[in-house]
Amino acid sequence: MPPGEVSTSRVGERIIYWTWVPLFAIWITAFLLFPGFIPPVSPRASAAEVAEFYRQDLSRIRYSMILFNWFGVALIPILMLIAERMRGMAHRTPVLRFCVIGVAGGAPIAFLTSTVFWLVAAFRPDRSPDLTLLTNDLAWVTFTCGVPFLIALYLFIALAVAWDDQPRPVFPRWIAWFNVVIALVTVPAAFAGLAKRGVFAWDGLVSFWVKNVAIAVWIVVMAWSLRSAMARDGEVIEAGA
Amino acid sequence: MTQERGKLRGAKRELWLAWYVTVAFYGLYSVVFFALARAQPPGRPWLDPGQTVAWFADRHWGLLIGFGLIFVLGGFSAVALALITYSIRRMSVSPAYAYSYLILYAIAAIPGFMFICVAMTCGVMRPDLSPVTTQWLYDLGFLSFVGTMGVFLVGSLIWMVAILIDENGVLPRWFGYLSLVNALTEVVIAPSWIFQRGVLAYNGAIGFWVNVPVFGLYTVAFILLLRDFIRRDDLGTGPLPMPPPDVWGHAKRAVEAVGA
Repeated sequence: MPPGEVSTSRVGERIIYWTWVPLFAIWITAFLLFPGFIPPVSPRASAAEVAEFYRQDLSRIRYSMILFNWFGVALIPILMLIAERMRGMAHRTPVLRFCVIGVAGGAPIAFLTSTVFWLVAAFRPDRSPDLTLLTNDLAWVTFTCGVPFLIALYLFIALAVAWDDQPRPVFPRWIAWFNVVIALVTVPAAFAGLAKRGVFAWDGLVSFWVKNVAIAVWIVVMAWSLRSAMARDGEVIEAGA
Repeated sequence: MTQERGKLRGAKRELWLAWYVTVAFYGLYSVVFFALARAQPPGRPWLDPGQTVAWFADRHWGLLIGFGLIFVLGGFSAVALALITYSIRRMSVSPAYAYSYLILYAIAAIPGFMFICVAMTCGVMRPDLSPVTTQWLYDLGFLSFVGTMGVFLVGSLIWMVAILIDENGVLPRWFGYLSLVNALTEVVIAPSWIFQRGVLAYNGAIGFWVNVPVFGLYTVAFILLLRDFIRRDDLGTGPLPMPPPDVWGHAKRAVEAVGA
């Protein structure tokens, strides 16, 4: 390859990398557009109140959830960039990389499943309120409690970074601690079924706001550190060439 | 303990950690489903709607706390998959086997345990739902849990073929045949989608009392064999330095026969 020319592989990775900006913008837009998030629909709402929610603002419910259904899973290619960076880590086996790949699909697909329930509830807003309440519950429990793959992903990345024993690691060490903190603040959301009111309920400060803000912060921080990691990989390849 | 700490510092630390997490995960999974949530052995498929409401009421906190724990730790099921995927990559077979196994089992998690956790959490959160709706959640929970068959069927067969054609001696051949038995449990569970009572129902003599012990035996066997594999692995690419253990002494008898 002539000097100064960038390989197709690196161009391809840069294309995926820069999708994080529209992905982030779309996720925030869907979040703000969905009338069920600001404020979040209460788990204490009666079947009649929930049915009424789907009759009002019907268009915004549909548009926002179609948007999230389209691009919620767009996180997967970005997670694959992280998995690719793990090849450069000072590990003896690919086990941690396989762990990341193993949960990379689950996290966004849990979100995708919740959009399916929200869209089903909105499909026939004149349905029996009891059925709408059930579908709404399925959506909220899947969205709020469906975090096992995210928690595992954060902790797999944390361990991979912590065990990257080389003078110039792929990700800086603090990324390991950052991922541990994000995992810990996500844990309470898993128990949202235990409380219908208060900070731990699915509309509460911890289970809703902290968990979702943590996801947003994680995307920005990991995208920022991924850029340095990709530049480092490029330098290592050029040095070895 | 010192020796274990040593394992987590040595060259095979990733493999040993994955092995310990696998043991802990299956242990936790059993405790949650059998003792805490009491969702295993499964509820009776013939309960009428009112009885399913009582079933949920009887397990209120157990279901919420137990499935809350699964919502936190369920993703660690990927660790066992990663270790098994590595074991297949270590075989002389195409990487297609390893990646097929990884993807099959990774997607199995959504219908295989997410659905039951979501359905049962919804059922227990709303004791005032109409009993018919509660019964629907009960059915969704149990049928998705026992009836997610294809991924385990095809996944077990993929692992079986890989073991049987491998020339690197990663796992013993008898475990390949045990994988076939495990795959067959996914075949005989199919009637549980149809029968609400009897030996073929999901809590029946075949559906539960044969299948679950077979799965338990299979799981214990692969956990022990993976430990043995990690001990023998030289982190290289060719045949493992030592062959898998010969539990029936066939190789010894063969050597004696040749010697005679």
